[in-house]
Amino acid sequence: MSSMQPFRVPCSASAKKDSGTLEKLTHSTDSNKDTPGKKQGKTANTKPDRAVVKSNKSAKSLTGSVGDPSGTTTTHSTTTAAGSLPSIPPLSSFSFGPFRGSIVTPFLNNHITDDTINSPDEEHHYCYRHNPKVRCNKAADEIKMTEIQKKLEKLPRADQEAISHVWSIFSAAPNQQRSLILQGLLTMCCFPQLSLISQEVSKLIRIDFIETLPNELALKVLCYLDCQSLCSAAQVSVKWKQMADDDRVWRHMCEQHIDRKCPQCGWGLPLMAVKKLRETPSRKRKIEDVDGIGSASSTSGAISELKTEDSLHIPPPLEECRAITEQSRQAKKQRRTRPWKAVYSERYKVERNWRKGVYKIRKFEGHSDGVLCCQYDNNNLLMTGSYDKTIKIWNVDTGKLLRTLTGHTRGVRTLAFDDQKLISGGLDGTIKVWNYRTGQCISTYTGHSEGVISVDFHDKLIVSGSADSTVKVWHVDTRTCYTLRGHTDWVTSVKIHTKSRTLFTASDDATVRLWDLRTNKCLKVFGGVENNGHIGQIQCVIPFTVKDKLITDVQEHTVPEAETHDTHENHDAEDDCNCNDKLLDIACLPTHMLTASLDNTIKLWDVHTGKCIRTQFGHIEGVWSIAADTFRIVSGAHDRTIKVWDLQTGQCMHTFGGHVSPISCVALGDSRIVCGLENGEVKMYCFDC
Amino acid sequence: MTKERQIAIITSDGDRFPVERKVAEKSILIKNMLKNLLPVEGEEGEDSESDEEDDEPIEIPTQNVRSAVMKNILEWCEHYKDINFPDDEQDDDSKKSAPIDPWDSNFLNVDQEMLYEIILAANYLNIKPLLNAGCKVVAEMIRGKSPEEIRKTFNIVNDFTPEEEAAIRRENEWAEDR
Repeated sequence: MSSMQPFRVPCSASAKKDSGTLEKLTHSTDSNKDTPGKKQGKTANTKPDRAVVKSNKSAKSLTGSVGDPSGTTTTHSTTTAAGSLPSIPPLSSFSFGPFRGSIVTPFLNNHITDDTINSPDEEHHYCYRHNPKVRCNKAADEIKMTEIQKKLEKLPRADQEAISHVWSIFSAAPNQQRSLILQGLLTMCCFPQLSLISQEVSKLIRIDFIETLPNELALKVLCYLDCQSLCSAAQVSVKWKQMADDDRVWRHMCEQHIDRKCPQCGWGLPLMAVKKLRETPSRKRKIEDVDGIGSASSTSGAISELKTEDSLHIPPPLEECRAITEQSRQAKKQRRTRPWKAVYSERYKVERNWRKGVYKIRKFEGHSDGVLCCQYDNNNLLMTGSYDKTIKIWNVDTGKLLRTLTGHTRGVRTLAFDDQKLISGGLDGTIKVWNYRTGQCISTYTGHSEGVISVDFHDKLIVSGSADSTVKVWHVDTRTCYTLRGHTDWVTSVKIHTKSRTLFTASDDATVRLWDLRTNKCLKVFGGVENNGHIGQIQCVIPFTVKDKLITDVQEHTVPEAETHDTHENHDAEDDCNCNDKLLDIACLPTHMLTASLDNTIKLWDVHTGKCIRTQFGHIEGVWSIAADTFRIVSGAHDRTIKVWDLQTGQCMHTFGGHVSPISCVALGDSRIVCGLENGEVKMYCFDC
Repeated sequence: MTKERQIAIITSDGDRFPVERKVAEKSILIKNMLKNLLPVEGEEGEDSESDEEDDEPIEIPTQNVRSAVMKNILEWCEHYKDINFPDDEQDDDSKKSAPIDPWDSNFLNVDQEMLYEIILAANYLNIKPLLNAGCKVVAEMIRGKSPEEIRKTFNIVNDFTPEEEAAIRRENEWAEDR
């Protein structure tokens, strides 16, 4: 960090360049030949003996061009020039009186040689304007120069010479003397003239930072920009394009936005899992597993946890998909070499479609009765369960039905799959484990006295919720089954939270229960009017963890004082304390959970306080199903609409209607929504169209 | 006895700025330099041999920074002398997204040349918070502008051919409407 680029000292080296241009002006015919020669001398400063070469050349050219014609006219013309400003009496200290023609030439000679000999190591210290590598100001200079030229030509010959001498002296002067000259000139200026200077100066001091700053600093600047500005920057010039398209800048952009909400612009971009079938049995969809984002691990913490927790998307391999595997492998190879900007823009387009509600619908036709459940792996596999007693497995890309699993004797109410197995629960009261690659039913668990409404699994643990109001925890290894009692109505949703080894269950009794899977004890009951709980049957629960601040109702919701007092007392009550103590014992509990209920609302809860902190209104009939990811919540309701909500703010972003029957289930991928309808339709909204 | 030794910064054009140690130490470059020259009292049992030397102020030459720029830099250091910036950029992310401090923004409301030199000097002297602020100010000058407006702001010549320009515009169209 300590190294510095050739620093631009407002340098003496600049003198020569300026005089070059001036020569051009005054003696365009004879001195032009000299200028390129001088430039060469100047740029070739890597040569060891450059100082000598240069001093000779420049001295010669200047004395030749400026010194010769000066002669006796100098004294005369300079005084005229000074005298021609009637409003400002010439300052005695700056009087040009003692000047004689013989002074100009030696001054020039003297200083031009001075320069080069004095400070040979300053030679590579160009100021911005005179750096030969910087092209930017030069074009503007030319315009200005022609302008000056024209004005000059209108003057009498003698005045032309006089003025050119003033310039020559200035240009030949070493830096410190230049400052002195300028200060002197400034004291002579009246306000209109100062105003002219101030205008001209503000036009002149424009520096192409991106071109002239050391690359790492230019990139640093660009890293502070948003994507629109970067795309504008890329259109400015060749150099800007090179910098603004730099992989480091866009990688930073990707880190800022992909799978997280950028605190600066409020945009987050979908993760977009690779179209790749993974061999690893891991259910985690970590950021590391996704192409292009491999190194963004610093940002992955909270997000990967969220993803894991809702266990929404599980990419599995399937025999049938081998061709696709090959295809995606090639695609992946291509992606590897893809610039980060392309990665960003692809995701950006998807996110924009999400925001604008631009999508294409794909339909999956085959079920002969209402669809009850669906799961989408965020990749290429979709499974649906139906009243028609079957489970259907679909290839999302082709829309083809890959397989129909039969075996349940009544409707399939719930299912969950990973890359190896599928677990389904039916209204026939059984749980079935399938090898969905072969279509074989591996085992059937019976035990519930009524229909199985919900299942979830992790490793060798299966959890089921039933219409018989119980939750059963099946330890497949040890062939033991625990029954968790507490709910007083159908158990509609069960979710294992792996990290904390807890279980969340939702029920038609309008409560959610939190269980410790190690002890099979109930840790907490979420619900009740005092906690602003649901008043209707809860159909779905999703525990998750966020670090970002979620917008809650509490601020706007002015609670009557008495009530606040009440809850406070409650909080102090022993019962509650015990409960909280129990929670404190559990490490890595999710911070929040979402619930959907037939009371038409979606609620956000603080798991630790047990209070509902946000209620999302909008559906006019019961909400059957919700799904969520880092950015949004999708809900499907009996009112035949699907709504997309912003997870952070709780605002409804879109309402998608046009369905002829109630929505019974929804699933969510990075760029897609799947919904199953009571009339047997399965539709997919594709935002990556 | 343990009178603090004086420190002076000498600029490229020979000006001399006497500074307080903690002001000068906003520059990590100078801080490290001083660490070697002047161990903090108590850290090393120093003998009083070099007493007469101690009275002489330490002069730190900064060949790359001219006096007008150094004046500004020192004003910044003076303003922040009692604030400790974390040395490492661990919390880089939140810092990145933070808007420019109003004081910094006002402080850096200078002509482009001065801003340019302040950025280079902050980089050279290793004053990260100042460097960040400087870069942010430049970024703000770019933000939200069309390519033509950017060219105007920084006096840049469009060196694309019309065909190239059209192609690049198409290439970047995706970001235009949000």
